[in-house]
Amino acid sequence: MSAAPRCYEDMLASRREEFSNFMWASRHLKPQVAYQQERRALPQYHKDEVLKCPKIQELLETLSQQQNVAREVLEAQVKSILDEIGYNKKLKVIRWLGLALVKITKKICSGIYINRSAIVHVKAQMGDCPVIFVPSHRSYADFILMSLICFSEDMAIPAIAAGMDFHGMWGMGTMLRDTGAFFMRRTYNNDSLYWTTFKQYVYQLVTKGDLPIEFFIEGTRSRSNKSLMPKYGLILMILKAFFLSQVPDILFVPINISYERILEEKLFAFELLGVPKPKESTSGFFKSLSIMKEKYGAIYFDMAQPISAKQFFGAKFNKSGHNLQPIHQQEITEEEKKLIPELAHEIVLQQQKHCVITTFNLIAIVLHHNLFNEKSLMGVDDLCTQVLWLKKILEAVGAFVQTDDVRNSVFEALEVHKNIVRVDESGKVTLVWNQIVLDKANIGKLKAHNLSETTLTTCVPFIMLQLYINPVLHYLVDCAILVAILKQQALTPDELFGRYHFLRALLSQEFVTFSTREKMEFEVALENCLKLNLVAKNGDVYETGSDKKSQDVVSGCIDGFIFTYFVVCSVLLQSVDGVIDEKTILTRVQAEIEARLNEDNAFIHPYSLSLDTITNCLTTLSNEKILVKTRSKNSILYEINPAGVLSVKSKLEEFVAPSHSLQTKLESIQLHLKTKL
Amino acid sequence: MAGYKKLVHDQGKQKETAIYVNSTVPKNRLEVLKWNGWGYKDSKFIYDAEKKEVRFTGRRYPIGEVQLPLLVGWVTENFDADFSVSKPSQQIPPEDTFPKPRISDENLTKIANLGISYSTKGVERLVRAHGQTLHSIYTLRYSSFERIPDVVLWPTCHDDVIKLVRLADDNNMVIIPFGGGTAVSSAVDCPIMEHRTIISLDTSQMNRILWVDRENLVACCESGIIGQDLERELRKLGFTSGHEPDSYEFSSLGGWVATRASGMKKNTYGNIEDLLVHVKMVTPKGVLEKNCQVPRLSSGPDFNHVVMGSEGSLGVITEVVIKIRPLPACQKFGSIVFPDFESGLRCMREVAKQRCQPSSIRLMDNGQFALGMLLKPGSSYFGLILDGLKKFYVTKIRGFDVKKMCVMTLLFEGDEADIKVQEKKIYAIGATFGGMPAGQTNGERGYMLTFVIAYIRDLALEYEIVAESFETSVPWDRALVLCNNVKQCVAHECKSLGIDYFMINCRVTQTYDAGCVIYFYLAFNYRDVEDPVEVHHLIESKARDEIVACGGSISHHHGVGKIRKKWYPDTVSRVGVDLFLATKKELDPNNVFGVGNLVQAKL
Ligand SMILES: Cc1cc2nc3c(=O)[nH]c(=O)nc-3n(C[C@H](O)[C@H](O)[C@H](O)COP(=O)(O)OP(=O)(O)OC[C@H]3O[C@@H](n4cnc5c(N)ncnc54)[C@H](O)[C@@H]3O)c2cc1C
Repeated sequence: MSAAPRCYEDMLASRREEFSNFMWASRHLKPQVAYQQERRALPQYHKDEVLKCPKIQELLETLSQQQNVAREVLEAQVKSILDEIGYNKKLKVIRWLGLALVKITKKICSGIYINRSAIVHVKAQMGDCPVIFVPSHRSYADFILMSLICFSEDMAIPAIAAGMDFHGMWGMGTMLRDTGAFFMRRTYNNDSLYWTTFKQYVYQLVTKGDLPIEFFIEGTRSRSNKSLMPKYGLILMILKAFFLSQVPDILFVPINISYERILEEKLFAFELLGVPKPKESTSGFFKSLSIMKEKYGAIYFDMAQPISAKQFFGAKFNKSGHNLQPIHQQEITEEEKKLIPELAHEIVLQQQKHCVITTFNLIAIVLHHNLFNEKSLMGVDDLCTQVLWLKKILEAVGAFVQTDDVRNSVFEALEVHKNIVRVDESGKVTLVWNQIVLDKANIGKLKAHNLSETTLTTCVPFIMLQLYINPVLHYLVDCAILVAILKQQALTPDELFGRYHFLRALLSQEFVTFSTREKMEFEVALENCLKLNLVAKNGDVYETGSDKKSQDVVSGCIDGFIFTYFVVCSVLLQSVDGVIDEKTILTRVQAEIEARLNEDNAFIHPYSLSLDTITNCLTTLSNEKILVKTRSKNSILYEINPAGVLSVKSKLEEFVAPSHSLQTKLESIQLHLKTKL
Repeated sequence: MAGYKKLVHDQGKQKETAIYVNSTVPKNRLEVLKWNGWGYKDSKFIYDAEKKEVRFTGRRYPIGEVQLPLLVGWVTENFDADFSVSKPSQQIPPEDTFPKPRISDENLTKIANLGISYSTKGVERLVRAHGQTLHSIYTLRYSSFERIPDVVLWPTCHDDVIKLVRLADDNNMVIIPFGGGTAVSSAVDCPIMEHRTIISLDTSQMNRILWVDRENLVACCESGIIGQDLERELRKLGFTSGHEPDSYEFSSLGGWVATRASGMKKNTYGNIEDLLVHVKMVTPKGVLEKNCQVPRLSSGPDFNHVVMGSEGSLGVITEVVIKIRPLPACQKFGSIVFPDFESGLRCMREVAKQRCQPSSIRLMDNGQFALGMLLKPGSSYFGLILDGLKKFYVTKIRGFDVKKMCVMTLLFEGDEADIKVQEKKIYAIGATFGGMPAGQTNGERGYMLTFVIAYIRDLALEYEIVAESFETSVPWDRALVLCNNVKQCVAHECKSLGIDYFMINCRVTQTYDAGCVIYFYLAFNYRDVEDPVEVHHLIESKARDEIVACGGSISHHHGVGKIRKKWYPDTVSRVGVDLFLATKKELDPNNVFGVGNLVQAKL
């Protein structure tokens, strides 16, 4: 457990003091490398070694025979693949970029707060084996920030695994490459020449490189601002060197980057609804740099205790399993592959544990509750009181909340997020509805259901607000589930666990967790609930506790998700022939929810429209074998096990049936919202 | 007991031609050998408090009686050693403090009646209770053994052994064969749980060269002959066995066979399995041997390989026919320095690929290279490096990083013309890997130090530093990684055990077609460590795990003994273990040879 107090200092502070940052940017660098090698490997050396290695040479031999192509031709292909992949390192570019970034961040951020003692701790462990930086991925800014911080803190700037989408951006691609990015195609075909080369390149960097390697275990930026299920592809390529004992150990450093305000918040909100993501282009990027005029508040950067692969896997695998063939012909075994998810999940968990909850996260929850459950809007004083109250709850469940003086923090947060939340003329805190300008070009090609323009404009602010609730949810989800269950009826511990298990497993994609942790998390959550009076023990049974307000706030956090899952099940059950393609599901679910949104009698959370939630639901149902997923050429098909779906749906029913008392309470706010819109 | 009678008629013939060897190491070993450390009593590193310098005593080795001005500073700096306080060894324990021999009067009488020299004196038993592991030496110096042999016997011929084995088998006693006592696997140590009478069968008085066959170039020797005696005697006749393990001054022919030893010059002469033409092993079931002395035999599985590596647990090796070679006309040393270890290793690989190894070719890593320099008499470290490298230093060495460079040492044997050709080839290969010839002296010193380095541990222990070595064999494609990983692993373990001052370095000592041998040295300051032997054991154990994970073996030549038993089953498979146990059960049903090496025989 991280016992040390977490303490963040603004990396930009000393940069602000300097008259010019030029000296800083051009200072003599002696960065801490990850894995000190007897021979320092330069970028070109890595590419040459990959080409020369027996693995690639043998593949060329085979392919040239199979395809009857001259070996030189294939070799040239490998060379050009390597040129496409390979990172570069231009100190000049790094320095200029550092300088520019400091200029920009000084302008748009209130600070880049880093946990320096954590960084020092990690640095002290570097040098003896490959070190892998694994940051959370919430924004494109992650890339740049990581490198900026390494540059500033005298750590070697990592070789960064980046998607090919960047590669295409003119100027951008080259710049990223020059600062250490290497590129990976996203297509998963069986182009064996490409993939063998790519894997070998990663292997080369791990075994012979001295730089840290950085990759995003979530695979892509999380549009929801929640952690995504870890992907196993790259971590597997990296771990190969460890399982083959080609390196002494590998240290994985989970890193959390928390943004007070995400650069891409609006884009993400649209994407969640199905408005396609604009293709990455440099002009698009710079357009989004109109951002320059705005304020983005604080950024928090924290490194978790490095996880040693050697310690983590301990005696769990056969250490001499790879001894009987030439080392270059060895691949990771199935048994070894099976060990990887646990590590990947541990990394994500540590990323979550090191996130910083900002005042605006609290505001978002309080406001959300206010809008949905209470009769009238709150004033700022009320908001401050509630923020403080919520802070206590979150701290009780282990969150790290960064607020010093509440009033100040609230005002600062409102300033940063004035595009979402504002204080109206009467001093009431409310959402900003009328500023959403839709980009006409994109509306026509919605990914799923053709949501109406009104729906879009109504929903976007709510979704943006939800983006700031989401990162808090992994602290609350377990308690929320328990409360939601006990709101229905009192239960014995075993019954409670049974139901908890059902919901937690169902939401395991949504709120990333690993099955082996379930029992432990249940127990911790139960204890927290008792402590917070969310739950009480009455003889042999558990029931809801005395603090009704907390219960509503906490359980309210997951209502929207459960609702979507419920609708997904309904839609699936409507399918007549038992097979349905993904696009149809997405469309029908959104259509259904949009229809309900427009009904007057119940308030449905707009975030229920999120395609992310719908896909998560489908993934979970597939994992539980209730759906069978197959890929055809341009679509994904689901074969439905109706009994299974029905069972899930009926278990969810109790959580979504609107209660009457709630409806009446809601009416006023509903009206309020309607008129406002 | 079948098999015994048949052999007696050979006896007369042997006596005529036999060479009675006057051994450098007498029956009473302590006349010349230390009781609590390595080697000769008169040869040791000592710290001269007045001059604040370390010196090697005696004139047996070229390094003797010269000042080594750099060592103290280096050790102080690198090990935080404090030469002002020493941790001296205890004195040799008085006779009445040894455990009483566990032997019945009846059995003792039977032994006396064999007519074989024997003793139950404490010191004699103590001296044969151990090999040369850190554990044993530390115990000798600072505590005491739980179990030592109960009686020592000195048979003088094959027949003596037969009688003795029969007696032990009939009377439920244990025999542990003892050769030179140089084992570094705890192979000669008594199993603590053994309650039966333990007989230490010292082979040292069974050390004749029974005959020399100049036509076939073989010699038949009794197993107790030690390396230096064998070489000296053969040399007188114009021959050499060419078998030179680093311990050859004290280790015995029987010991080599029993542990599958490997000599420095194996490239020219072969390892013990190549040298051995015929062997006799006395087991409780009879004598295992062949009816011919032929260069090769296709006759089912080769039982020589049951004898070799048996580590005293199947029987006593009594007579061995080994190959001999005419003495080479010339011997020449050489050395090449490389900018880094990887270059050196690649060069080794290339030499092996071209199969042009000289008698010995070794590669020291930077750590060992530096250590070698420190054992040079001279004025300054820098000056020392220059010495011998002088000529080319000025022009070329500037490109070398003193913190990375490493040295390859070479030993050539043959006639002058042959050596010239060999040299040319090696230096040319060296050059393609960035290597530069660094002179004969550097090479020669490297080999000389091999014999001296074993003495250094005794001094180290005195100043609270433990030192030990371990070795492995590994395929070429995994060698470099193995070296790196093991060093990292040891460094990591040391750090996590709170050991700040330690040293781990390695060298490649042998090359083969399919791989090479890596030899590691490990040392650390144990001032703040409660149980240094245990901690060392822990570290070495982790290192061995790492070795195995990197594709290395349990051992190339030290053997399994007791300290590496843990890795034996995985090495040879479950079936392999059962096969060994079945053999054991057949040859030694009563577990007379209950030394407990390799696997625990549940008999
Ligand atoms: C400084 C040093 C350097 C070394 N260098 C090398 C080296 O270069 N190469 C190498 O291979 N080893 C080396 N060794 C290890 C050791 O010297 C060898 O294992 C050697 O073969 C042991 O011979 P010994 O006569 O000393 O046997 P001992 O130590 O007396 O016994 C070793 C084992 O063999 C058994 N044994 C001995 N004699 C007989 C016999 N006649 N019949 C049946 N069993 C018997 C014993 O019971 C015991 O199990 C070194 C050791 C030291 C201390």
